[in-house]
Amino acid sequence: MGTYIVRRLLLVPLLIFGVTIIIFGMLQFLGPIERSALYVRDFPKNDKQIQGLIKKYGLDRPIYEQYWRWLTGVKDPISGEREGGVLFGDFGYSRTASQPVINIIKNRFPNTLDLALWAVFPMLSVGIWLGVQAAVHQNGWIDQLARIFSIVGTSFPTFVFGLLVLIVFYANLQWFPPGKMSDWVSVLLYSGDFKQYTHLLSIDALLNGRIDVFLDAMRHMFLPILTLSYINWATFVRVTRSSMLETLRMDYVTTARAKGLKESVVINKHARPNAMISITTLAGMSVVGLLGGVVITETVFNYPGIGKAAADAAQQLDVVTILGFAVFNGLILILANLVVDIMYGIIDPRVRLA
Amino acid sequence: MAELLLDVQGLETRFKTPEGIVHAVNGVSFTLSEGETLGVVGESGCGKSVTMLSCLRLIASPPGEIVAGKALFLGQDLLKMAPEEIRKVRGAKISMVFQDPMTSLNPVMSIGQQMAEPLLLHMGMNKEQARKRSIELLELVGIPNAADRLKDYPHQYSGGMRQRVMIAMGLSCIPQILIADEPTTALDVTIQAQIVELVKRLREELGMAIIWITHDLGVVANIAHRVAVMYGGYIIEEAPVKELYANPTHPYTLGLLGSLPKINASERTRLYSIEGMPPVLYQKPQACPFAPRCTFVQERCWKENPALVNITPTHRVACWADTTSGSERL
Repeated sequence: MGTYIVRRLLLVPLLIFGVTIIIFGMLQFLGPIERSALYVRDFPKNDKQIQGLIKKYGLDRPIYEQYWRWLTGVKDPISGEREGGVLFGDFGYSRTASQPVINIIKNRFPNTLDLALWAVFPMLSVGIWLGVQAAVHQNGWIDQLARIFSIVGTSFPTFVFGLLVLIVFYANLQWFPPGKMSDWVSVLLYSGDFKQYTHLLSIDALLNGRIDVFLDAMRHMFLPILTLSYINWATFVRVTRSSMLETLRMDYVTTARAKGLKESVVINKHARPNAMISITTLAGMSVVGLLGGVVITETVFNYPGIGKAAADAAQQLDVVTILGFAVFNGLILILANLVVDIMYGIIDPRVRLA
Repeated sequence: MAELLLDVQGLETRFKTPEGIVHAVNGVSFTLSEGETLGVVGESGCGKSVTMLSCLRLIASPPGEIVAGKALFLGQDLLKMAPEEIRKVRGAKISMVFQDPMTSLNPVMSIGQQMAEPLLLHMGMNKEQARKRSIELLELVGIPNAADRLKDYPHQYSGGMRQRVMIAMGLSCIPQILIADEPTTALDVTIQAQIVELVKRLREELGMAIIWITHDLGVVANIAHRVAVMYGGYIIEEAPVKELYANPTHPYTLGLLGSLPKINASERTRLYSIEGMPPVLYQKPQACPFAPRCTFVQERCWKENPALVNITPTHRVACWADTTSGSERL
């Protein structure tokens, strides 16, 4: 297992290189004025300033030199401070949001993480459970129900479903408001009595022992979680069902039955771990999707996550910010792939020992 | 006479497929006595595996369904047992070894885990006892360094080794019957011979009865005491092994034996082959299922399906034609 993980880790720099090359390539479509946002906050005001920036940050230099500067930053000759440098977490300035891109990520990502954290459990557990049940009772009522659910879920877009639950549960019933927190919670956050250990509101609420804050956070997250779960369930049910059906036809399942094992043991111990191999990939991709910010869901529910920030930036054609998010997403994807690969190793000895 | 272990009567199994109902087993009856080895031979799809899987109710249902018959194991009908009752028989009193050792072991569980399962379940052992017993069993079937190999996974074993593991697992609870479903088909010839010798040795040491399903007449001659030949979901001939090879009576058996290459045959002799394909039975046959391919076919064969009748006290055959003059006629 050790050598397997090391081999996977060795791939990471290569992947980072690939991701950054592609995004840097996209940046080249921008003129020097926009590209200068990688290093400085304000728009250059006249030709002299523009020429100065081009010279200082080498925006007219050969492309490999610019790539290196983009990765590692440029040292200011006077203050000696590093400006830019994607590898150091400096993704440039968002001129529409008037702050460094990394600050937007720092502010918004915990919210997205908070949502992802609570969405991932119902998403995976219910989706996989339903898929297994559908396969085990193939053509039974639970299977028919799961299949109908899966088709409806796949063909019913997020924003329609999101708006629908918003109309029912917020506009009509007033149960679950959009946004992230009630006004009294934001007042509390600024008061200083509430320690923000993790910047994940629900977790901080628990750490502060404030059940009321936690419940308020949950109340705001409920509809986004429901929407995210619902669309993911549709996919998980379908994939789990077919993967499980395939596994149940395997000879080793008959072997397990021929040993006299109970059907529940046959399914849970012999069939399901094998079916999980293909589900792991899907789960990894879904989690990446959640962490990268779920643009539509966050926008529909006005939830201040990274997806909403990306949507705002896109509406204002703030390309440097968007591509900053893209680098961040790329890194998350690489990380998630690494986790999925390690999961493979844990589930499947053929991968681990190969 | 040895005690009767298994008495199967009129077993019928069907499968619902999109093309229609396939009548895979159409009233099969046979017996198995203590310490006896019954060879079951026939082409692919003749119902030999389905018959044995039906006895242990291991047919996937749906699409499979056992529609008639009894399978009496020591007088108790396996087909009518409660699920928890038959689970106590499976793996403990009757166990199975399957055709393809590459796919019949679970790839994500270690050999040790898989071997321990029946021991923990049926023998009331704890994990340590099961581990010790597993090592003994692996040594019994000739796996070197058994103690170290217990933590290995199936993909780290060769095909022959995996089949040895399957046999060890099948024998772990000292069953009264071992059903071996084409256990050598997926293996190369030298390994086949090793496996056959292994099972013969274990039969002597442990004294279990064996049902050996195969389409290899050579293997059957080597291991079986009695042979049942199946065709189209029926047993069409059954006799002690020597009797069957000396006096094959059913045209199909004659054809099977005639199609074996002979070591003393002249170089130029063409190998005999039975013309046509085995049937897929969408209806329960009203005539003899072999009639379309039979060289002895008579008018009656198209109208009535012959029953299995004794032509000597130990030799049963299902055929209207008189082929008793032997295989020279072919």
